[in-house]
Amino acid sequence: MTQTAAPAPTALRHSAEVEAGALPPLLVRAEQLAGSVLLGDHGRRRAGLGDDFWQYRPAQPGDSRRLIDHRRSARGDQQYVREREWEIAQSVHLWVDQGASMRFGSRPDLPQKIARARLLALATSILMIRAGERVGLTGTTLPPRRGNTQVLRLAETLCHDTEADYALPEHRAMIPHARAVFLSDFLGPFDELKLALTKAADRGIRGVLFQVLDPAEESFPFRGRTIFESTAGSLRHETLKASGLRDRYLERLAERRDELEALCRLTGWRLGLHHTGDSAQAALLWLFRALDGTGR
Amino acid sequence: MTTLFGIGFTAPWLLATLAALPLLWLILRAVPPAPLRRIFPGVTLLLGLKDDETLSDRTPWWLLLLRMLAVAALIIGLAGPVLNPARDQSGSGPLLVVLDASWAGAAAWEETRDRLEAELSEAGRANRPVAVLRLTAPEPLNFMAASDWRSRIAGLTPQPWQPTEAQIGEALDQIAAASGGFDSLWFDDGLDYAARPSVIEVLQDRGDLLVIQTRSSTLGLKPARFDDGSIALSALRSRGAAAQEATVIARGPDPGGTLRSLATATLTFAEGATGAEAQLTLPPELRSRITRFEIGGTRSAGAVALTDDSLRRREIALISSQAGNEGLALLSPLHYLRQALEPTADLYEGTLASLLPANPDAVILADVASLPPAEETALIEWVTDGGLLLRFAGPRLAASDLARDADHPLMPVRLRSGGRSIGGAMSWGEPKQLAAFAEDSPFFGLTVPDEVTVTSQVVAQPGPDLANTMIAALGDGTPLVTRKPLGKGKVVLFHVTANAEWSSLPLSGLFVGMLERLSVSSAARTPSAEELEGTTWTPISVLDGLGRHADAGRLSGIAGPDLIATPPGPDMRPGVYESGGRTLARNVLTGDSVLSPSVWPANVAVTGSAAAPERALGGLLLSLALLLLAADILASLLLSGRLTSSRATLTALILGFGTVSLPTDAPAQVRPPPPPALAAEMVLAHVLTGDAQIDALAQAGLTGLSNTLYFRTSVEPASPTGVDLERDELAFYPLLYWPITLSQPRPSAEAYAKLNAYLQAGGMILFDTRDADLASSGATTPNARKLQQLARALDIPPLEPVPEDHVLTRTFYLLQDFPGRHSRGTLWVEAAATGTEQIEGLPFRNLNDGVTPVVIGGNDWASAWAVDAGGRQMYPIGRGFAGERQRELAFRFGVNLVMHVLTGNYKSDQVHVPALLDRLGQ
Repeated sequence: MTQTAAPAPTALRHSAEVEAGALPPLLVRAEQLAGSVLLGDHGRRRAGLGDDFWQYRPAQPGDSRRLIDHRRSARGDQQYVREREWEIAQSVHLWVDQGASMRFGSRPDLPQKIARARLLALATSILMIRAGERVGLTGTTLPPRRGNTQVLRLAETLCHDTEADYALPEHRAMIPHARAVFLSDFLGPFDELKLALTKAADRGIRGVLFQVLDPAEESFPFRGRTIFESTAGSLRHETLKASGLRDRYLERLAERRDELEALCRLTGWRLGLHHTGDSAQAALLWLFRALDGTGR
Repeated sequence: MTTLFGIGFTAPWLLATLAALPLLWLILRAVPPAPLRRIFPGVTLLLGLKDDETLSDRTPWWLLLLRMLAVAALIIGLAGPVLNPARDQSGSGPLLVVLDASWAGAAAWEETRDRLEAELSEAGRANRPVAVLRLTAPEPLNFMAASDWRSRIAGLTPQPWQPTEAQIGEALDQIAAASGGFDSLWFDDGLDYAARPSVIEVLQDRGDLLVIQTRSSTLGLKPARFDDGSIALSALRSRGAAAQEATVIARGPDPGGTLRSLATATLTFAEGATGAEAQLTLPPELRSRITRFEIGGTRSAGAVALTDDSLRRREIALISSQAGNEGLALLSPLHYLRQALEPTADLYEGTLASLLPANPDAVILADVASLPPAEETALIEWVTDGGLLLRFAGPRLAASDLARDADHPLMPVRLRSGGRSIGGAMSWGEPKQLAAFAEDSPFFGLTVPDEVTVTSQVVAQPGPDLANTMIAALGDGTPLVTRKPLGKGKVVLFHVTANAEWSSLPLSGLFVGMLERLSVSSAARTPSAEELEGTTWTPISVLDGLGRHADAGRLSGIAGPDLIATPPGPDMRPGVYESGGRTLARNVLTGDSVLSPSVWPANVAVTGSAAAPERALGGLLLSLALLLLAADILASLLLSGRLTSSRATLTALILGFGTVSLPTDAPAQVRPPPPPALAAEMVLAHVLTGDAQIDALAQAGLTGLSNTLYFRTSVEPASPTGVDLERDELAFYPLLYWPITLSQPRPSAEAYAKLNAYLQAGGMILFDTRDADLASSGATTPNARKLQQLARALDIPPLEPVPEDHVLTRTFYLLQDFPGRHSRGTLWVEAAATGTEQIEGLPFRNLNDGVTPVVIGGNDWASAWAVDAGGRQMYPIGRGFAGERQRELAFRFGVNLVMHVLTGNYKSDQVHVPALLDRLGQ
């Protein structure tokens, strides 16, 4: 799935087919997942530009006469202006960790972390786009746009893998005061994440850190003499007794989570945790609610 | 072979490698288990963590022990351990193998032969020349290479006798003739005989003597006796060991002449007892057919008891001229005959016309002069076919003109008129006594008592052949009994009466003896030697040592007394002997035989032939090693943490234990035929004819019918199926469609039994000859003839063409004819019960019983019903719309038929008559 500089026409066609082959299932699943969330009242809860009725208020000097609602005004002597709810499109930036470390599923019946992350990202995008928001990726690859075509573009872009073990968070070209969702296992270098998040916070961007972990990464069910390798093989650690490492590994995992929490508190982001063994729908609901909440 | 701790090893040096085990322990202990590579993204969190324990993860001691045990089992297994290793045959020099080879060892002969073969190969390995001496058939000792003898073992068979004294003497001579010393090996059959010590002595003089004694107790069967209406069987065994049961099988020809087991009886030896008895009661017909009794499961001449006349009760027709006169029983011509014959024969009295068809063994006419011509012709025919006619003279015969002027076929001699009386008040001379019997007379050997006198007799006309016919005479040479052959049979005339009127012969025991000799009666007991004096018996069939029938062709006859008194030997083989129409069985055991087990002097070494057999333990140990290694796999997986999921455990277990199978010789189980998964659904079936085209047509036809049923009725059949009558279970199918082809084979007897059971259990077969276009004129077509052949063995009731009011015409649709591809054929169903009459005004008879088990027709319904996979009709029927109508009627017939099968006579119920009447518009 790597893109070559100048692919031969047939190879391009072939890879395009492969790409396209991966798209529909992801899209369909994401649509299904998104369809399970009932969109509620998604206005901004204040008067502004929009389609929906918000309130009548007495006309004030300066109001254009065209704004006077005659049906309401005819009931009494006072003139009323019909105000609409302020509905403004937000920009949502997504970052999905495409690193090799995400391509891991401890059991055949569990999805890989990256699959779950993509699914959740796309489903969230669909929901957001339905709600009228603009959704895009961080970085310059795919700036936020609205409309169903954007879903297709997102789906395509999300399917690109990265070869490196741990992908670095993309924090360029983020629109100020936008929303952001970072989906990753956050097992990679912490400093980069800190950098990205503080930079985003500087721009007034708030959002959600969503950690997707495999159950094995949470329980560390290993024993015996073992060599642990990262997915791409760049890192390795040998132990004579894996079971002896369990407690300290869990300690470090909790430590990492504490750091994430602290970072979130600092930047006003929210931290979510999801295991691939759990239901994707619950995660989506949480994610959606969290995004909704960060808006206010 | 080296023996350690009672276990022999074929490769003992391999055991030295056991010393290397501690070294292996050290090596295995030093090497930790190989590390496991795991992909784990969380490795970033692990980086920099040190192991708490600096010691590497050692293999635990119990796993090491497991591996040590596996390796040890492997080494010991490969060293070839043998439990109960065979005894080393020490010694050198010539070896004499002495075999009893009598019938007593026949039951265990295979065992003896195997042991003999083993001993011979042992001797062959030791390069010892071997001679074999059979005491029951001694031959000169011939020391040869053991391998030469091995090829001749198969020819050694046991003889049906014990070594006789003459044979022992001959054997002693042969041993004496052999030079030099030799060791001896004696295979003892387990029965004692008198001259054994002398042989032991001679053999011990020459060298070592080892006796191999058979382990089993010898079974023998005494001759069967007829006792109070039942057959008394008694068996013997040589050792009164634990309680034991023996089954005695009575064999004989069935009416077709094939030898069969006619009856069985079970004898139970009580614990410690050497004898067992049983009674067997059989109808005379069956009893007379028995030719031998044998103990089941034992092949030995001693376990066979041949039967002779003593088991047969002859059927004798007694006919006298007078009507029964109760007051004068002692004067009745038949009284003495009855007394003489009753114990040994079944007597029938009545008229000749009624008795002759029963085909008695003998007919006795007491003073009957003339017979009606028809009866006489029948009697002549009967005698010519092999019957025995015994006539007694009397006043009527003397007074009649029978055989006066010419020979009469039913009289041995011509008679002079009147007869004569001697020694009476009005005559001269003394009552005559009997002359001694001539040598060619069947009565030769019987002693003539002095008190038998004859006062009157009918006198034969002198002639050239009178001497030939005369078999008993009076003191003055006048014939008393004459005999002549007629065809295959014989006619015998006693020239005196059958009562005591003319002579005192009927009062004497001689009378009974004479009747026996004439084989009118048969002895119920074994005759004594005196009774057989003067007779010569030729063997019909003799036994070999294993109890099989052997050829008696060139054996010479045996004098009667010898037959009783001489013990069996080469000149006196057990078997069935015949003399003058009587048969006598000479069995190995006699009524007073006793089987005594052989006893050996204390200075003779005796071993059992059934020493515990060698048992190789190598396989067992190698299996154990495999099992241990499998356990090691599991344990290693467990230790390295690879045994996480239950599936892996299961796989490992299967791999571990599946490869190890213990050495058992359980026979492979016969797989039962899979039960058809049809019981849940209704399935129409057709009989596979072997003609692929017809079978496909039947399948398509039934598919069409099934579809029609599915669409139109509440019957929802599954896909139809073809049934193989030989193999398939029929009980699942309510209806069998059987197209008749000329080429289909007749089902086997088992298949017919299955079909009959199917029909009786309510199944229905629709026979379709598929030739109604040819058969409508009443001609019998080839298919119809084939149907007759096929259905002959079926249990089919009387048939009739389907009547108009048959329930088939209204089970679902109202039908009047039943077309298929042809429309003219007649449909035959089970005939209605007779006496059912149509009630005036009702359209149907009251026929409430029974579903017809067969429906026979020739309209080729399958073609009319047949649809292809797409549901389209496969064959055109008729022309245009009329053809489609005919097809529709064919389907309706099919629906009616299936409804008839499934609902029976439901529609015949009177409850529905009003509604049906209404629909019929009546």
